[in-house]
Amino acid sequence: MTGAAPLLEVTDLAVEFRTPGGVVRAVDGLTYQVEAGRTLAIVGESGSGKSVSSLAVMGLLGPTAHVTRGTARLNGTDLLALPPREHRARCGQDVAMVFQDALAALNPVLTVGFQLTEALRARHRISRGEARQRAVELLDLVKVPHARERVRDYPHQFSGGMRQRVMIACALALDPKVLIADEPTTALDVTVQAQVLRLLAEIQAERQMGLVLITHDLGVVAGVADDVTVMYAGRAVEQAGVLGAFRSPAHPYTRALLQSVPQLGSRTRLPVIPGRPPGPGDRPAGCPFHPRCALAQDVCRADPPPPLVEAAPGRWSACHFAGDVLRGAAVPAETTPEGDPR
Amino acid sequence: MSDVVLEVRDLVKHYPVRRGLILRRTVGAVRAVDGVSLALRRGSTLGVVGESGSGKSTLARVLVGIEEPTSGQVLVDGTDVSTMSRADRRALRRDVQMVFQDPYTSLDPRMSVSEIVGEPFAIHRTIPRGGRDRAVRELLELVGLDPDHANRYPHQFSGGQRQRVGIARALALRPRILVCDEPVSALDVSVQGQVVNLLADLQAELGLSSVFIAHDLAVVRNIADSVAVMYLGRVVEDGPADSVYDGARHPYSQALLSAVPVADPTVRLSDGRGILLEGDPPSPVSPPSGCPFHTRCWLAPTLPEASVPVPEGEEVQARRVPPSCSGEVPLLVGAGGHHAACHFARPLAEVRR
Repeated sequence: MTGAAPLLEVTDLAVEFRTPGGVVRAVDGLTYQVEAGRTLAIVGESGSGKSVSSLAVMGLLGPTAHVTRGTARLNGTDLLALPPREHRARCGQDVAMVFQDALAALNPVLTVGFQLTEALRARHRISRGEARQRAVELLDLVKVPHARERVRDYPHQFSGGMRQRVMIACALALDPKVLIADEPTTALDVTVQAQVLRLLAEIQAERQMGLVLITHDLGVVAGVADDVTVMYAGRAVEQAGVLGAFRSPAHPYTRALLQSVPQLGSRTRLPVIPGRPPGPGDRPAGCPFHPRCALAQDVCRADPPPPLVEAAPGRWSACHFAGDVLRGAAVPAETTPEGDPR
Repeated sequence: MSDVVLEVRDLVKHYPVRRGLILRRTVGAVRAVDGVSLALRRGSTLGVVGESGSGKSTLARVLVGIEEPTSGQVLVDGTDVSTMSRADRRALRRDVQMVFQDPYTSLDPRMSVSEIVGEPFAIHRTIPRGGRDRAVRELLELVGLDPDHANRYPHQFSGGQRQRVGIARALALRPRILVCDEPVSALDVSVQGQVVNLLADLQAELGLSSVFIAHDLAVVRNIADSVAVMYLGRVVEDGPADSVYDGARHPYSQALLSAVPVADPTVRLSDGRGILLEGDPPSPVSPPSGCPFHTRCWLAPTLPEASVPVPEGEEVQARRVPPSCSGEVPLLVGAGGHHAACHFARPLAEVRR
């Protein structure tokens, strides 16, 4: 983290769902910030709360969910304290979101040209011609070929990768300062994923946007993120620059997760984390990772979940033994990139 | 008996594309699998990798007999399945079982786990009714589930556990061959490894041979002995896993391997390293002429053969590839069991020199 004033600053966010089985806390005290021109990856497995937290920031939670704690400051204004109308107006304008499944997120009965300029037309009086022109520009921006003709097409007429580009264009329509992308390439094939990730990185660098990239794929994190927040069971368990987090994780979960990623290099038996990630409704007492943690001690089971503490400069970890993990986790220097073409 | 337990020869599976409500005319075909030959050796794992639309799932469905091939042969222990009697085919179903991709939709939500895992016994009557409960408990134990949970329903299990239920069901009839179609792609990373390791252990323990189909090249790397790379219904490269992963010869395999995000933050996407393919895979309804990959190939336009003079009267294309790439379907050729279907196949190291 560079020390520049953050664009988006989420502090101690908590989100609860009311379910027939009782109140479930999906996000429990999440803090992160993203600066202009930087990419923060929020990584976690299913049920970790990574998607719910971004929906909360965007004011898109359903009727059963509500924010019980915390702030989300965008340029100093707390979005979560705004009346819903104003919150909605800010979203799209200053902070926009790209969703995982473009086929579900785009309206199938409206042309992409219409959807690209919907936000623009809702806020400004512009003519039909201007709107069309703007839609073409947006498609050009995300490198959809033949943009002038394609604005008249419907979402189903695009391939998966192109549809994802259309959704990115929609999010960029009002020139947001922060873009939240929730698993933007998970549904795509790997060769197409590479194209879309590169496009996102280019646009972000060019516009000096802050990018929050939500993903479960550690390869994607390593490829594009500057900073990383690792979530487990509704909490951030580690925050660091991406190099530090990958080289010498300061939380046992991060370390175990990195080890469990299958490698291309050679055939090995996959190291695994025993058990499974807890759902929001069945989180254990104490540190939520303790039933799966190789280092767990009595304190991990008995004490309340440890808070994020700075184990070393810029290295935050929510583990009672963060310092030990950090020191013991040095990755040998010969772990260099795979032989890569060109 | 030969060493090959399962083999396909020139396998083709086309799905008709029909138009019109009353006169259902056939106007074309989705060429899902378009001439595939593969062999599975006893006790080994054949990995099949490819992107969506490459035909790998259709291949799986033909292998287990859910789909009939349009043409070509499926041979089990050297016998062509299509020449078998009904009774023999039914017996064969027991030998070749499938693990499905999605543990959320491939288990009937209204059946208990013991009913799901025990259903094959009821259908094939390999075990008398009285012994089924015990057999189910043994199977659950085999895949690492608590046998006391046999009366629970699928929704009471996590994704990884459900996939174990699916595996137990597939093993119920003591098959010799297991076809796994994306068995771990719906699972979290930390759980994926558990299921992959379980499959590897079961294979060794029970002497199974298996076909492991996945889009995740890294997962396949860690389980497969040999591997086949599919593109648009064809195998473009196959061979021993080490040989293909370490020395891919087909430009598509090379691009695919280079596009896999590596969990190493010193390899940055913005470095411009790696082969970036343009566009999307073409539609299997109208695959390109010649080599199916020539429309996206990164190698072809860079070859000296691409700059041959254009015959008079023909338009000069912006993207030019050697005439053989757009004109002739390349055959799988190679040595040491490692084959690539490319007119200009060569290891990446040689290309870059």
